[in-house]
Amino acid sequence: MTPESPTDFQMPVPVTAGAPAAPDSAGIPESSPVSATARTSFAATIDRIAPTRDERLFLVLSIFIGVISGLLVVAFRIAIEWIKILSLGSAPHPGQLRLLLVPGIAGIVVAALVMWFFPAARGSGVNQTKAALYVYDGYISIRTVIGKFLTSALAIGGGHSLGPEDPSLQIGAGVASIIARNLRLSRRRLRMFAPIGAAAGLAAAFNAPISAILFVIEEVIGSWSAAVLGSLVLAAISSVVVMRGFMGSEPMFRIPSVTLRDTRELLAYAVLGVFGGLLAPLFSLILGFLRPRMRAMPRGTLYLQPAVAGLMVGAIGYFGFPQVMGVGYDVIDQAMHGQFVWQMLLALVFLKLLATTVSFSSGTPGGMFAPTLFIGAMLGGAVGAFEKHFFPGLTGTVGAYSLVGMGVLFAGFLRVPLTSVFMVLEVSGNYSIILPVILANTIAFLLSRSLQPVGIFEIFTHQDGLDLPSMEVQREESALHIEDAIQPVAAPVVQGSDSIGKVADILADARAAALLVQLPDGSWYAMSPAELNAAAATLTPETPIQRALKPDRAPQLFPDMPLDSTLHYFPRWPLLPVSNRASRGTLEGVVTLDDVLHRYRSSD
Amino acid sequence: MTTLHAGTLLSPEERLARRRLILRDALSLLTLFLITVVIFTLTLFLYRSFENHREELWRRWKSRGEAALQAGRPKDAVEDLRSALAYIPDRQTEVELATALADAGHTIEATAYFNTLWESTPGDGQINLQLARLAARVGNEPAAVLHYEAALDGTWEGNGYDHRRQIRLELAGYLISRREYNQARSQLLVAASNAPDDPAIKIQIAALLEQAKDVQSALGIYRAVAARRPAPVPAVEGAGRIAYSMGMFRVAADYLDRASASPDAAELPDAERAADRTMLDISSRILLLFPAFDLPARERSQRILSAKNLAHQRLAGCAAANSAAASQLAALVTRWDQLPARLTAAQLEQQPDLEQTIVQLAFDTESVTSRICGAPTGDDALLLRIAANPIAVEQP
Repeated sequence: MTPESPTDFQMPVPVTAGAPAAPDSAGIPESSPVSATARTSFAATIDRIAPTRDERLFLVLSIFIGVISGLLVVAFRIAIEWIKILSLGSAPHPGQLRLLLVPGIAGIVVAALVMWFFPAARGSGVNQTKAALYVYDGYISIRTVIGKFLTSALAIGGGHSLGPEDPSLQIGAGVASIIARNLRLSRRRLRMFAPIGAAAGLAAAFNAPISAILFVIEEVIGSWSAAVLGSLVLAAISSVVVMRGFMGSEPMFRIPSVTLRDTRELLAYAVLGVFGGLLAPLFSLILGFLRPRMRAMPRGTLYLQPAVAGLMVGAIGYFGFPQVMGVGYDVIDQAMHGQFVWQMLLALVFLKLLATTVSFSSGTPGGMFAPTLFIGAMLGGAVGAFEKHFFPGLTGTVGAYSLVGMGVLFAGFLRVPLTSVFMVLEVSGNYSIILPVILANTIAFLLSRSLQPVGIFEIFTHQDGLDLPSMEVQREESALHIEDAIQPVAAPVVQGSDSIGKVADILADARAAALLVQLPDGSWYAMSPAELNAAAATLTPETPIQRALKPDRAPQLFPDMPLDSTLHYFPRWPLLPVSNRASRGTLEGVVTLDDVLHRYRSSD
Repeated sequence: MTTLHAGTLLSPEERLARRRLILRDALSLLTLFLITVVIFTLTLFLYRSFENHREELWRRWKSRGEAALQAGRPKDAVEDLRSALAYIPDRQTEVELATALADAGHTIEATAYFNTLWESTPGDGQINLQLARLAARVGNEPAAVLHYEAALDGTWEGNGYDHRRQIRLELAGYLISRREYNQARSQLLVAASNAPDDPAIKIQIAALLEQAKDVQSALGIYRAVAARRPAPVPAVEGAGRIAYSMGMFRVAADYLDRASASPDAAELPDAERAADRTMLDISSRILLLFPAFDLPARERSQRILSAKNLAHQRLAGCAAANSAAASQLAALVTRWDQLPARLTAAQLEQQPDLEQTIVQLAFDTESVTSRICGAPTGDDALLLRIAANPIAVEQP
């Protein structure tokens, strides 16, 4: 790695790396330690002496990021398991005093670590990664990565009701940021490395590369960008290869194939979608209510909040429900194998919701993904078991309903509908469930969004005082196209063979601000009166107008092209002809700068 | 990594900078590679250490679970095996957990668990057998039969031949419990034809055939096994019992006598021995009453006369006790009236047709009076038994 101290490389690179910026109250550094001007200057030099360097490094580094993220996530998962076994015992069951005490003690230790050493490790990690991308030029400090690893492992292993996926995402993003910084890539590249690392970390955590890529696109980047897609795939695949090398390639959950013998059974899954769509906003509402209130308490209480949350979670475990403690994948598996009656499943839904809400709101580092999957699986199992009790003809197993339930809450709560579908398929390795999953997830997503328009990540963003783009809103913004501003052809249209004199007469009669010249090859030229006058002054009136034209031609524009793509042509052309794609040379209309601006002004 | 497209346009300083950049990038990537190797080594060390610990925990909980399962404590076994699976989710432990769930009465959970296992290996004999048992438990006969048959055709670890035979017998037992006797008999006959030369197995098959109402086949197997030396008491006793039920009192008496005389008879339950003794006494008495053709003529005639007297007294008693039934007994009375008033053994032995008429009348009298006046007792009852199937009495 490139050292952060002065090097023998004597390029003008005034890098000030080494001292992380002070984090704000949300635990996010206020600014990148590398000055923007220094990086710009370095990038300009690189552009000159090695213009394709960044692009090629980008792909190679994606693989390194994937491998290192995968290794760290493996270590992270093992650390969680070690801590769990050492602190809660190898087979926790109700009535063990350690269940009551350990989460509280873990909470105190974690709070001290966060307050004294790793303030940026608070929270889940998703918003911090988004902040790195949109605010801090991809900067995530090494201290944040270490802090996230240690504190999350302690909290989750100690029984707090949180998951390892979001921290893994941030650890991956942090690894990417550190590597990219030390390679001194351009700011644009540097910024894009955070989501690539995030995809790698999440892919390893879920053992599901497609879902990780989709999540990063849906929730972090917000758009399909060809520039990063290749790197995202490389990083995600590399990390999953590493994870599977250690942990094996078995899917996380296994259920029997779902055979829809009667399509009417989809109604039963639709009912599950409705329940998920109602529960998701409730979960958001409780979190959105409790989290800011706990954060607003006096600073001294921040040391105690994780401990109190831990004590509450421990009490739930001690008095009969140790299933809610920790990650809970084994409990999800049990639910999928129909090992709980619906009353128990329903109890676990609400107890896990409570445990996760207090754990997360207390600022304990850890993620929301696993608890969401847990609650969804229990809800699915409860609804499935209940429905099967009253409609014994339903052929789907309780496991199938649990699996669909996971996706339902994922779609409704985290608001990532596409990811939720692929996540279910990948974690179960079971494609036969796709129809119920799509149906139920869509219902849950739409219902949840109508009841709670603001997604949970956006709620957290606002609570943290940040203004990050909402991917959900972005996805639904409709971009304007040329057809939205196109006007009928009012300008005079002449042929290239027409004489300058004739054209001048036509323009004078029309009193137009420009005219369009159609050339024999089908191309167009937009001419202003000034340009025509200049030509008339130097050429005879009989000269064909095409000889008076400059060598360039009006750009070929079509109605379906983005409206903003016209903007950079207006300094050169007074108006732009819009052609028909099917018939070259046939005009659909024209657009002027005024038309475009008017359209944008009225687009609200 | 650095590309040299712009090489010809660069100043000497820039070319030097580019060379340094190439060197720096190469060193950076090498360093990155070394860091990756270091992290990999540390992770591998951590992973192996954890795996060892996990395996130790898995072994501990698995052995506890298996011990609990064998000790008939399935609830404890469920908890222990579940803990074991949390560390290493191996198939055998999953099967054991599902079995423990089934034994603990968690039928739905066990079925779901076995279905999951079945999904990955639909041809596994053990899984199909467990699913068949669970389906049988909840009364889902089609699924039970389907899984039993899949278990018969499925793969088995170890001696598949023995497993399949046991499953076939279990399936037959299940079919018997569902009163599907024909299907059960088919399975048992297949099992019998493939059974090894093992008396215990043959006796088990014969017992099931007996329950499936195929007493003829059961008797055949019992007798074949009873022909061995030393003859297993259950086979001898079974042959006697079935022969008795079929009215083959000569055979029954023979086998029951052998069974009671066997030194191994003491191993039989007291109730069973008492029942055998009763059957032997009855059979012996019937053989004393029965006018067999191979008896000396005089003795046969005397037995026929005794039967005649016995039946006539039974008719008179029945008519006296139940005067309302006179019309039902009228036909019998008429037949009795047609017999010679006085007959001696010597006279009778000269008239074989009359002998047969009297024997048949005695049997018909016992049958009719038993319907009108209730079950007879004593020798009347024995005559009635003979009447049910007189040909079988002396059948070898």
